[in-house]
Amino acid sequence: MSAQSMPARPAEQPHPKVPHQQGMPTALVGMLLFIASEVMFFGGLFATYFNARAAVPAGTWEPPPGGHLDLPLAAVLTVILVASSFTMQFGVWAIRRGDTGKLKLWTGITLALGVLFLIGQLYDYSMLGFGIADGPFGTTFYTLTGFHGAHVFGGAVGLAIILARAMRGQFSARNHVAVEAVSMYWHFVDVVWIAVFTTIYFLR
Amino acid sequence: MATTTLEPRAGTYRQSWVLDWLTTVDHKKIGILYILNSFLFFFAAGILALLIRAELAVPGLQFTDYDTYNQAFTMHGTIMIFLFIVPVLAGFGNYIVPLQLGAPDMAFPRINALSFWLLPLGGGLIFSGYLFGGAAAEGWTMYTPLSNAPYARNVGTDLWIIGLTLVGTASILGAVNFIATIFKMRAPGMTLFRMPIFVWTILVTATLILLATPVLTAGLIALFIDRNYGGSFFDPSVGGNPILWQHIFWFFGHPEVYIVILPAMGVVSEVLPVFSRKPLFGYKAFVFATIAIGLLSFSVWAHHMFTTGAVFLPFFAFMTTLIAIPTGVKMFNWLGTLWRGKLMLTTPMLFALGFLSMFLIGGISGVMLGQPPFDFHVQDTYFVVAHLHYVFFGGSVFGVFAATYYWFPKMTGRRLNEPLGKIHFWIHFIGFNLAFFPMHQLGLDGMPRRIADYDPNAGWTLLNFVSTIGAFMIAVSIIPFLINVVATFINGERVGDDPWEANTLEWATSSPPPPHNFDRLPPIHSERPLFFLTHGHGHPAERPEDLVEEELVDEKPGDIEERPEDLV
Amino acid sequence: MTDAAFGFLLLGIAMLVVLGIVFAIASRGGPRGEHPKPPAGVHMPNPSFLPVVFSVAATLIGAGLAFRREEELANPFLMIPGLVLLVLAAIGWVRAANHEWREVEHGAHHDDGASH
Repeated sequence: MSAQSMPARPAEQPHPKVPHQQGMPTALVGMLLFIASEVMFFGGLFATYFNARAAVPAGTWEPPPGGHLDLPLAAVLTVILVASSFTMQFGVWAIRRGDTGKLKLWTGITLALGVLFLIGQLYDYSMLGFGIADGPFGTTFYTLTGFHGAHVFGGAVGLAIILARAMRGQFSARNHVAVEAVSMYWHFVDVVWIAVFTTIYFLR
Repeated sequence: MATTTLEPRAGTYRQSWVLDWLTTVDHKKIGILYILNSFLFFFAAGILALLIRAELAVPGLQFTDYDTYNQAFTMHGTIMIFLFIVPVLAGFGNYIVPLQLGAPDMAFPRINALSFWLLPLGGGLIFSGYLFGGAAAEGWTMYTPLSNAPYARNVGTDLWIIGLTLVGTASILGAVNFIATIFKMRAPGMTLFRMPIFVWTILVTATLILLATPVLTAGLIALFIDRNYGGSFFDPSVGGNPILWQHIFWFFGHPEVYIVILPAMGVVSEVLPVFSRKPLFGYKAFVFATIAIGLLSFSVWAHHMFTTGAVFLPFFAFMTTLIAIPTGVKMFNWLGTLWRGKLMLTTPMLFALGFLSMFLIGGISGVMLGQPPFDFHVQDTYFVVAHLHYVFFGGSVFGVFAATYYWFPKMTGRRLNEPLGKIHFWIHFIGFNLAFFPMHQLGLDGMPRRIADYDPNAGWTLLNFVSTIGAFMIAVSIIPFLINVVATFINGERVGDDPWEANTLEWATSSPPPPHNFDRLPPIHSERPLFFLTHGHGHPAERPEDLVEEELVDEKPGDIEERPEDLV
Repeated sequence: MTDAAFGFLLLGIAMLVVLGIVFAIASRGGPRGEHPKPPAGVHMPNPSFLPVVFSVAATLIGAGLAFRREEELANPFLMIPGLVLLVLAAIGWVRAANHEWREVEHGAHHDDGASH
């Protein structure tokens, strides 16, 4: 086995670098793909909801006896979450301009709104009068909203992390991929909520 | 032998090899871990298969009781699919894809390692049912109502659900990694249509994993809630729908079988050109056929449910038959690659040719099953068992062995012994057909699947006995394979960068590669960059950059190489 | 423990022994030495315990769900250590990512920062 080394040639590739970043940063591509998988996960859960709903006679798909849905509270939660998407985006725009101060402010507000949503969701659960074991409506309701809430919690953890890093001055205009990734995830969580809210509270 | 050795063979860094392998984020080591772990599960599930076949050889219960038998076929299927075939193909993908792209590693190396470690642990959870009163026993498809709380109270089924959730999550993370790597980390000059077909199949497979596996996860969670928290998803006594489980499972389950076959098709598409000394016939058609199969795979799931009465038969029958078209395109392109090639019947080539013939049979029985009038007669019989083994085993597993023999030199710097490899192949091939071909007839004769025992007067005894002999032959064929692997590790024939005179970039670096894969890359102007580097325009001495102007993406047909002496 | 379980346990141990031998032999091949240096511009990520720790944590949490007794949400003896380990692993992951971010930011070359 002879060890021929490659002769130097003008057409030879230079040392292989990680290719220059063109288009979306790799971490963001990863987040987008992960979000796609989460969309399919919620798709599966929605499928169970629609299947259960289609199995009962028209107009009878409702909470079990003794239970009720609190539309006003849910509407308030929706407003909170949608607002938090706006504040998150303000934060992203801020750091794109290099404004770390505003990033911290808007991220903090977003986090607070997210936590408020979670508290509101838990309060809602405590007042509804039915549980996961109370027939198809109860099961699908709690599974769908519960897993959405879990995702909100995950997003809140992400927000807390970027807030902490922002406070340590780790983000700049040209290097803030984590902020973009978390914001993408947060918008996804918001969109899922809009779908959940519309489906559960309006498609009756 | 033309080589492009760029550096002396890279050694392994040894402080403590246990720590080294536990903490590695190197895609090559992770790939090897995947492969080794998968083969471990392969042997475990294979032993379960032998138990099943031993029991079925003659009527009467000789070795198991009903519950043990149910656990055996459930775990056999689960482990073979989720813990052997998908991970081993992911392992080859992990090792080879960055190399074929000219990249130094995967896009997310630490998540890559995480994806691996979830496998032995998740698989261990699934298997641990045996330690706690019995493993899951409701079939790898886990149909409700049988798998639901009133009937299957065993913790083994819950462990199955949880373990599979972990394994599925690992898959999804791996899929994210593969797609990001393929889109973002190709070497300069490698456009999408210059990627090797193996990379294309991994790309489509990863997309299927990304979109289908989460649906399984949703279903698994729903089943867990039903079993443990009083849920009403699938339990009809409280308003649930047992058929819903089948829909959710098969919406995942059908893309899953393409997840299992596409990378094996990619391997075959790598091996056939190299050992025919010809370019792959119809590269672009291959790419589009693969994408078409991926897309169509989401539209056929209910062909597993024809007999439930809850399915719109014409649509699913039509879409199922439609999938045969891109598959047929691939078949003909492989034949076109072989046509007038200078065939070198090395062991990887034998397994690739075995794939072609066995997958053809499995594909034909699949199209038969896709016709509802026929399916109504053979659903849940051994005809289905025959079909699935011809595609899973005759297809994917043959592809895995082809990959093993083909890429073993790259991974270890040593080539597996050819005579032993051929012995492995032939015993394996004959045993496989002996084991599974009779099952077609058994199914037509009415033998149901998932039964531990059968009536001696049913007329099924002879074929069952023959099938058992075949199964044990397959087991015997593993012996020369294992001897080969161990002996080669100890004192096998050492090889350089490119022992097969192949076309793709993984052969342009040392065997095994250094940790960062490449010190220098050849210029990439086609889907066979190494071919052009080492052979030029048929004149090895010609400087390849002269080719830049007359860049040949489409090879001249019949480009035949001198057969190297060192290949038997 | 049933006979079947005992049999499988033995089988599992036997396989691990075989694999251990294979590993031991395989590790002897090739020259021992330093890592060859990657070319300039290529940043190889460091080895890490985090994937193993994370996986163990996930397994404990999963086992905690599977082994729950009646009227429990999950088995606390498995769930609590699992959650603790998960939090520790997550903290470790973030710190490792921070560390790499700092290396990239202050390093000589400009990476794509995708070291996860």
